[in-house]
Amino acid sequence: MSEPLSRSTRLWCLLAAGACALPLLLLIPGWLAAVLVATAALAAFAEKPWPASLRFLLTLMVGGLVLAAFEFRIGRDTSCAGLLAMLMLKPIETHGTRDARSLLGFSLFAPFAAFLQDQGPLTLSLSLPAAALSLMAWSMLVQGPGVPWLREARRAALAMAMALPMALAGFWLFPRLATPLWGLPENSVGRMGLGDRMTPSEWLDALVDDSPALRAHFIGKTPPREQMYWRGPVLMNFDGEAWTRDVGAGQAPTPTIRPSAPTIRYEVMLEPTERRDLLLLDLPLSTPPDARLNSELTAISEEPVNNLIRYSGESAPSAEFSEALAGWRRRAALALPPNHDPRTRALARQWRQETPDPLQLTGRFLQWLRRDFKYTISAPPVGFHATDDFLFGTRLGFCQHFSSAYAVFMRAAGVPTRVVTGYVGGHYNKLGDYWLLKHKDAHAWTEIWVDGRGWVRVDPTAAIAPENILDTLDDVQRRQRGGLAGAADQVLGPMFDGSDFLRRQWNQLVLGFNSARQKSLLRPVGIDEAEAWQLVTAFGIGSALALAMTLWLLLREHRDRSHPVLRAWRAFTRRLRRAGHAKGLDEPPLSFARRVAAEIPGQAADLLSVSERYSDWRYSGRKMPDQEQQQLIRSLRAFRLLDRSRK
Amino acid sequence: MAAARDAVERYGDRMAALALVRPKKPESLPVRITRNRIYILPTGFGLFLALMLTTMLIGGLNYNNNPALLLVFLFAGVAHNSLVHAHLILSGICLKAIHAQPVFAGEVLRLKLRFDAAGARERPGLQLLAADAHAQFELQADAQAEVTLDVITHRRGWLELGRMRLSTLRPLGLARSWSWLRPDTRLLVYPALDPSAPPLPQAPGDGDSRRTRAHGEQPHHLREYRPGDMPRQIAWKASARADRLLVREYESSVARDITLDWQLVAELGHEDKIRRLARWVVEAERSGSRYALVLPKQRIPAGRGAEHRHLCLRALALLPDV
Repeated sequence: MSEPLSRSTRLWCLLAAGACALPLLLLIPGWLAAVLVATAALAAFAEKPWPASLRFLLTLMVGGLVLAAFEFRIGRDTSCAGLLAMLMLKPIETHGTRDARSLLGFSLFAPFAAFLQDQGPLTLSLSLPAAALSLMAWSMLVQGPGVPWLREARRAALAMAMALPMALAGFWLFPRLATPLWGLPENSVGRMGLGDRMTPSEWLDALVDDSPALRAHFIGKTPPREQMYWRGPVLMNFDGEAWTRDVGAGQAPTPTIRPSAPTIRYEVMLEPTERRDLLLLDLPLSTPPDARLNSELTAISEEPVNNLIRYSGESAPSAEFSEALAGWRRRAALALPPNHDPRTRALARQWRQETPDPLQLTGRFLQWLRRDFKYTISAPPVGFHATDDFLFGTRLGFCQHFSSAYAVFMRAAGVPTRVVTGYVGGHYNKLGDYWLLKHKDAHAWTEIWVDGRGWVRVDPTAAIAPENILDTLDDVQRRQRGGLAGAADQVLGPMFDGSDFLRRQWNQLVLGFNSARQKSLLRPVGIDEAEAWQLVTAFGIGSALALAMTLWLLLREHRDRSHPVLRAWRAFTRRLRRAGHAKGLDEPPLSFARRVAAEIPGQAADLLSVSERYSDWRYSGRKMPDQEQQQLIRSLRAFRLLDRSRK
Repeated sequence: MAAARDAVERYGDRMAALALVRPKKPESLPVRITRNRIYILPTGFGLFLALMLTTMLIGGLNYNNNPALLLVFLFAGVAHNSLVHAHLILSGICLKAIHAQPVFAGEVLRLKLRFDAAGARERPGLQLLAADAHAQFELQADAQAEVTLDVITHRRGWLELGRMRLSTLRPLGLARSWSWLRPDTRLLVYPALDPSAPPLPQAPGDGDSRRTRAHGEQPHHLREYRPGDMPRQIAWKASARADRLLVREYESSVARDITLDWQLVAELGHEDKIRRLARWVVEAERSGSRYALVLPKQRIPAGRGAEHRHLCLRALALLPDV
């Protein structure tokens, strides 16, 4: 049995564990977090151990709740929440130092698990105090009760600051894995953002998600803003209600395209999506190394994007497709569910007869949109014939409605059409010269097949007349935030730019770091692709440097804080000792000086004079004036033996 | 505090027997702890944390999770620095002196150890372990500390202190750093006293066994102080006048010296003889009589006073074992 914990030490240990758990708590469903916090609070107040049966029951109950919260799917998030639940139950049996140590050790896993799910600034900034509190608790455990916490906090902060060189050396130079040892965790709950499915009549949470989706920096010429279409998943199949992806697109060969305009080069930093789709500017010509373009020109990565990644790309604003669209692929791009939207089909067939050219037909359709349709984020609901209801009834909607209705119309008219999802526009950050695209910049547009040219981008939403835009996302958000927020945006805009710039720098420097970038780390010293042994050497050198720095910081405490005169005297006797005149420990300064003076008659007077003055300062009890002290220090420092060979 | 047996207790003792471990021989005081004799091993908690951090490191590398790696390396850096710190807490400490009043075997020997430390470093959380005795103390910057250890004695004679361990768990409890101290100081332990000894033997061949109190009432004369005189014998007023220490000599009525002879207890076993004689020495001293001690190959002439008592008990304590 270990020693019992004192109340204050126990409190600090629980506090440290709580701080560690906090980042993870914020990531699980709110009600579950509330239940766990309540349990932990109950457990924290338990001064005596609870009966085993009660603990067992509680564990079962909380475990069940965790499973229920994640709909009984076992995935990474469920495991993380399970770990958190165990951690929150642990205080019940934390009454000895041993329990406290195991609690503190396990609680380190909590920020780690939080990082697996989220690497945002909040999680990061919460994990730092958690680390500091952990260090404080470790130190308090070894000291026993009655330790002033402020001093411990200072020490913890100092310890972390001193560990920083080592930590950075390890971070940048510790050899990284190019390929994972085991599979990446599959998330049990999908993240918001672009999906495999688009249901026009459905509200999307992503539309109000203010978090960043990607940042793009153009190398060379920046295309006009209205041409910045970031291409994501292409939706090919329509069942009358929702658009979904074509599962066969991955297997089919990539079409060959010839750019018909100067290409654009850019660099993208993609926030983690947990999906395999990468976003490239429309139309992509190449992909990052470990990704490929599928037959729909969507870049698919080999691994899900679980961490922030960086890649560069090249795209053409417009291009010609070499191959023709034929066979089942053409049929897929024309397929419509039977028994849906009879009026739309009839109108489409009629218009096609009047205007056979697909581009002219598009023009006519868009004119209709411009004239009779209004844009609103709060679209009214539609019925079974969704497209009919929209085109001939409500005539109110946003990008999903417009692109879907246009695609259905064109397919009915016999023109192969598909829906493309991605991001459009974005916000230019002057500070860092990059474009920030948020999740709410998600967009859906369409492509029609024009024989001889290939797929041509058509964005029906862009056809809406400005005066017909009733409300946009920003209006909705401004309404939600109240009138003041609008004014605040004016002021906060530049501040937001600054903070996003900092975040991007952090992303670039830390979050986007990986094996590939580590290999190019040695480029400044002339090694383009570092080999493993070179990296290990660099790690050795780097950590040795960091170690030297830390040691210097630690040893610095050794500085002699005694009186300057005393220090000068000690240095003086040290010099004499090296010259062979060692001062005995018990030898008074004056007898020492006389003895040495006899051995070096040449400097006897000098030696005796300084020693007498020192002896006077040290032992006479007279308060020596500062100036005289300074002189004494100078003489002590200046004294050198002229003839070192003499013993 | 029953300090949990940690790795050091388990393996440090075994390691101490290795030829490489310093100090190799008992050494004379003062003993300064230098860097080449400080050892360090992780505690259970340290090993546990190392395991956690390794797991997190592998996980972080596998998922290339940079914040997690940063956290792991930060903790690793802190842990590493704490090892250096632990080393620095011990380095430079000096064991200056060891002192103890002799006690009778079986009693608790109160061992006083004086430590000091060079440099301006604070040295908190020091633990001293000698045999089964524990003591905790700390050394302020440029300060001295006297540590008291209660060592239980078992047998008469010279008590070898053996290996003492000066260690610390600070600053974070991840590792115990320690250094062995093997001072060559010997501490005297008097023989145990016979609990059931018969009264003091009387001087042989004389019927007049009148004994008076320890010190007569009448001051006889003053004489110079000699080491070993009891403080209460000092004539303070007279000393102040004379400017030197003078001791009052009393008229003692004890006519004869007691001789405590080895032969008197011939019927007992070797150790019992020693215990019996030790008991008589103590009683004789208490009674105020002058007494002599006759041992095989050794004779201590009659005398009295703390010094004499010590001489006798020392002689008894150091008698060879049979």
